[in-house]
Amino acid sequence: MGIFSELLADISSLLSRYGWAYLNGIRNTLVLALAATAIGCVIGFLCGVLNTIPHARTDNPVKRFVLALIRAVIRVYVEVFRGTPMVLQAVFIYYGLPYITDKQVMFTNVWVSALVVVSINTGAYMAESVRGGIISVDPGQTEGAMAIGMTHVQTMMNVIIPQALRNIMPQIGNNFIINIKDTSVMFIISFTEFFAVHRAAVGATYKYFPSATIEMVGYLCLTLTSSFLLRVLEKKLDGSDNYELVNDDQLVMAAGNYNYPDKSSPFDERHKPSRDQVIQDVKIGKKRGER
Amino acid sequence: MADTILEIRHLSKSFGSHEVLRDIDFTVNKGDVTAIIGASGSGKSTLLRCVNLLETPTSGEILFHGKDVTGRGVNAPEYRSHVGMVFQSFNLFNNMPVLENCMVGQVKVLKKSKAEARENAMRYLQYVGMAPYINAKPRQLSGGQKQRVAIARALAMGPEVLLFDEPTSALDPEMVGEVLSVMQTLAGEGMTMLVVTHEMAFARDVSNHVVYMSEGVICEQGAPADVLGNPQKQETKDFLARFRKN
Repeated sequence: MGIFSELLADISSLLSRYGWAYLNGIRNTLVLALAATAIGCVIGFLCGVLNTIPHARTDNPVKRFVLALIRAVIRVYVEVFRGTPMVLQAVFIYYGLPYITDKQVMFTNVWVSALVVVSINTGAYMAESVRGGIISVDPGQTEGAMAIGMTHVQTMMNVIIPQALRNIMPQIGNNFIINIKDTSVMFIISFTEFFAVHRAAVGATYKYFPSATIEMVGYLCLTLTSSFLLRVLEKKLDGSDNYELVNDDQLVMAAGNYNYPDKSSPFDERHKPSRDQVIQDVKIGKKRGER
Repeated sequence: MADTILEIRHLSKSFGSHEVLRDIDFTVNKGDVTAIIGASGSGKSTLLRCVNLLETPTSGEILFHGKDVTGRGVNAPEYRSHVGMVFQSFNLFNNMPVLENCMVGQVKVLKKSKAEARENAMRYLQYVGMAPYINAKPRQLSGGQKQRVAIARALAMGPEVLLFDEPTSALDPEMVGEVLSVMQTLAGEGMTMLVVTHEMAFARDVSNHVVYMSEGVICEQGAPADVLGNPQKQETKDFLARFRKN
């Protein structure tokens, strides 16, 4: 017990001294993860759409060449950024760019460079997810859209992408949660996110394990809240399970649709066993509906 | 002389070395209800998909009001907006409720205002008896209901000719009737229709031109009474005999 009370004491002393710094770190982590996931999704959707432009052997050679080039470029982008650690990408972009361009091209703002690194990294992962999401939409949807005269772009924007987006929502959530954790490597370019605060606090107080405990709990809270919110969002995207019938003919409902049920039939409200049965059925049905 | 809408001339289609359609020739006049019948795999659906340019014909011409639509530089989406299509598997947009399904084409393709599109969509949804369901998503509807919405969606585009690709083949038997009766009403109102079907009764009673296809060629075509009642070719006789049996 002594160890735990010591740990708690250390944690509370850390929090009283660095509480605001931790909170600030959490804010920075969240903002970076959110913004980078959003931009990454946009990049991913762009790549995914460009990747799935239909091409046939009968198209003219220029179009085929351009499409092949686009696919090759995207392929290289995806393979490079998916296949190297984000820490190194950050180093290359923040320190490497000024080094090889003789300070012609450089990011002076750590926010911007962190955002760029995490975004293009997320984009590389999302590109493949989006491609999968688009392929997974029933080809009949494309045919239905084409049959009413939609162009490829109209089909994509109105029919395919909304459905692909729904299909890859779990993937987007996945990436967001990964980003919350993985932005911790941005300390390498001295970006003050949640984990960087830990390094600062430990450097000053040598309370390594208590601070790590704070970090653990903090990250877990962030990710648990995120996954809960993502579930809610997915439910919302799915829309209601029920729908309202619209009766434009008022007389239909007004004209006596109610028939008095036979005695002791399941619909007889005066017959207690039947009534209980109905109530029971409704309960079970409700449970099923809620699943 | 009748007003010709579609003229198919020497149409052929191959998938690789497999020739699915060979030298197809027929015309569709305004108000015609053409039934295309034949065994599975005889190329009926491919023919219909070629007419809508969902498949590119290998050779031959499709004249729409006298203009060839198979060549290069033809605005295929624009052409398709004049030619409605109803699919075997409905192909309603899963991400939209019924009303929006019938509006999106009008708004995006025909550039109508939302209010106008809505009014037009409601008219056709009422026509097929699906007006109460405008807020439902396709996944919440039965097959017959979906197909009726699909017909309303196609009609809302104001097509000059409507193509039906086995519209009742994916339906439960008790739902076939509701779709056929909508189609029958449509035919009665003078809609030009091209129907691939296995419903011989529909071909006999509703259509005024029957095309019998066998192995990628038109085996026999003409008035329903002639083709169905008094077939000349042995293939047609065999095919019809199989239907009479069951």
